[in-house]
Amino acid sequence: MAGTLTPTARHEPAADSRTPGRTALYAAGVLARRLLLLAGLLAAVFAAVELLPGDAADATSERGESAADLAQRRQLLGLDRPVAERFWDWMTGLPTGDLGTSARGEQVADLLARPFPNTLLLGGLALLLTLVASIALGCWAAARPGGPLDRAVSASATGILALPEFVVAVALVLVFALWTGWLPAVTLTDSDGSPASWRMLVLPVLALAVPQIGWNTRIVRAALADEARAPHIDTAVLDGLPRHRILVHHLLPGALPTIAAGVATSTGMLLGGAVVVETIFNYPGVGSVLAGAVTDRDSPVIAGVVAVTGAVITAVLLLADLVRTWASGGRT
Amino acid sequence: MNVNRRQVLWAGGAIGASALLAACGSGDETSAKSPAGKGEKPRRGGTLRVGALGRASAITRDPHGTQANESDYLIISLVYDTLTVPGAKPNTVPRLAASWQASDDLKTWRFTLAKGAKFHDGTPVTAEDVVWSLKRLRATPSGASRLPGIKAENIKAEGTDTVVLVSDYPNAELPQLTRLTTFVLKKDTKDSDLGKAPGTGPFKLDWFRSGNARLVRNADWYGGDVHLDAIEVKIFESPQAMANALLAGQIDVASNVGAVAARTAEKRGDVQVVRRPNDMAMPIVMRTADGPFADVKVREALRLAVDREAMVKQVLSGYGTVANDILGTGDPAYAKDLPQRARDLAKAKQLLKEAGFDTSKTYKLLTTEDIAGLAESATLFASQVREAGVKVEVVRQESATFWDKTWLKGDLYTTYWGTNDSVVFFASKTMVSDSGQNEAGWKNKEFDAAYRKAMATKDAAERAKVLHQLQQIEHDASGYLLWGMADGIDLAGAAVRNLPTLPGYGRVQLERAWLAR
Repeated sequence: MAGTLTPTARHEPAADSRTPGRTALYAAGVLARRLLLLAGLLAAVFAAVELLPGDAADATSERGESAADLAQRRQLLGLDRPVAERFWDWMTGLPTGDLGTSARGEQVADLLARPFPNTLLLGGLALLLTLVASIALGCWAAARPGGPLDRAVSASATGILALPEFVVAVALVLVFALWTGWLPAVTLTDSDGSPASWRMLVLPVLALAVPQIGWNTRIVRAALADEARAPHIDTAVLDGLPRHRILVHHLLPGALPTIAAGVATSTGMLLGGAVVVETIFNYPGVGSVLAGAVTDRDSPVIAGVVAVTGAVITAVLLLADLVRTWASGGRT
Repeated sequence: MNVNRRQVLWAGGAIGASALLAACGSGDETSAKSPAGKGEKPRRGGTLRVGALGRASAITRDPHGTQANESDYLIISLVYDTLTVPGAKPNTVPRLAASWQASDDLKTWRFTLAKGAKFHDGTPVTAEDVVWSLKRLRATPSGASRLPGIKAENIKAEGTDTVVLVSDYPNAELPQLTRLTTFVLKKDTKDSDLGKAPGTGPFKLDWFRSGNARLVRNADWYGGDVHLDAIEVKIFESPQAMANALLAGQIDVASNVGAVAARTAEKRGDVQVVRRPNDMAMPIVMRTADGPFADVKVREALRLAVDREAMVKQVLSGYGTVANDILGTGDPAYAKDLPQRARDLAKAKQLLKEAGFDTSKTYKLLTTEDIAGLAESATLFASQVREAGVKVEVVRQESATFWDKTWLKGDLYTTYWGTNDSVVFFASKTMVSDSGQNEAGWKNKEFDAAYRKAMATKDAAERAKVLHQLQQIEHDASGYLLWGMADGIDLAGAAVRNLPTLPGYGRVQLERAWLAR
């Protein structure tokens, strides 16, 4: 019978490429490549900090501290040793969870212990919102291809994705905090170091998510359009299946790999944007630690932030890869 | 982002400078636009939420460490007491030390501790605690500049309530040096216990987390009534976020938030703009030892070429006052009677000619963007002196490079001091021939003599006379072009009363504040 290409049939794995062992091996390979990339990135961080004028001893010194004191502190911080050696020391501590010591004598792991979960919460909520909103908007636009709604959504998505986070953030604060007073302008923390109220999360999450929603709506819309050109969709339409059924059961699964890749890419941008957004909203996250650490030329702290953020991005990308492998079935 | 970072650094630099130099913080005028009527009676109770600048990566709990964050310094100074604190007139007033007395040679100073002073755990404060704390302070990397001239072995207890400091040289201003960093902890407090070490201050620590803290009233404080139930300190990375929090009513005070925020807030009836005059000096330094500005006539010409009113108006948005090339404008001993220099291009040109100054060359003015307005001041200055025929090119340097390569060495550069209130402070730190931070490389025998005489003169009237002479020399010949003084600016909600209006670190003295609501 014509038009019986069901999702089940599509997901039937090609016998040779779908064994569990192969999948695990593939995942391990990807993971190894990503970790290697991360190590390279961390080396680049150390090198970049080295290229900045001044060093951690200078940057954290008090004005007028004597040259002898500075030299002593430089030695204490190990700054008199070659950068490669310092990098190696830091890297070898990494597997044991030791992220080194900051220029101000704090354990980097302690320094990040509170702000990092806060940033993950912020980024995670923004990612979730991005995912839900962009799929909804994308589907909405795709429901009537070429219609006025489709054109409106696509055009505004394009406009929004071009907006930097700080513009969105400033506008949100102006409208929702200073003019209407509906939401808090900044995040204040509780005695446990986390945001004092969920309402304080709304604006930062929106500021982070809005540009990404613009970006991903375009991707979802395009992926659905691609998928709609597939022969089995024509068949489904000709079979007279209801529109929403075609969307949910036929179009979306096919578009999933592309959507997953798009959203995974957003993770990096969300965590990058967090540095700016956290400053504007005084959000107690890792962004403020990073900004301060760059000013301090504090390589272990900067590298620590990059390492944990990089690990999160690596994990999300890996997840996206797995989703793609799974969703695309045998076809590539 | 850039602006924010810069302004945070302003705070950092200011604290660094003032904490390090354990210097001054007082003024003789106030201009808070507080709606509080004179007869209003302080109301007891309430929690004051204060925003203060700070960076998460630079948080410290050590009262004797480097407090790069205003937030940390504020918390520490509410929990712990220093021996003396900044005042208006005189600029040094008692705190944990109720009184002090010098020997005739002004070398030995006896500080008597306040009666009834107790730590938050109930134990009385003894001279031993103070001695231990001062020795700990002295042992820090910048201890020598925090307690200049006082060796650790010359800090001793006498009985239970007297601390004796013996200076290496006569020092009439020693109590001034004990104003900012001489926080007293209990003897033998371990470094690992600093986070919860009891202080003697007007507030006790309830909790501290990631730079934020809640402090509750110390009902037992020896220093008098504390009206507020509690103070909550909130750390802010950017002045803009802090101003937003105040405008949205999330905090009651935005401390040291700067002119940009003040401009916005001026339009709002429900926000008080508290101006603390003489808060920050940002002079232009001309090298006197050698180079193109070594001739005193050239320096005089530049001082006459600058348009001070325009500088204050444009660089400081009007939140400041014109200055007269003497540093220490907040000092009660400041020489107000010296004639104010004003712009005189004709005379400037004539002086340059007399000095044989090469006007065909372009001179570099080095600056950095550490604090708001600093680089802008350089740019405006350059365009002003061009009218006198001096070509100046402004070079912006990255902060670390600036302090490493230019500061103390350059021919022409900008600098700034958050501790600007005492004439003697600047004389001893930056102008006496052998001073460690002689920014202009200035050596003047007359000035040195006047300084030494002032420091060794016990009689106040006599000392004031010598200080006046010292300022005259500074005005005529030093390497500084001080065009104006920036105000410190705090924002406060309508209900806040009795905020400090002193410049510099006078602003952390919140123990007398109260809430009218």
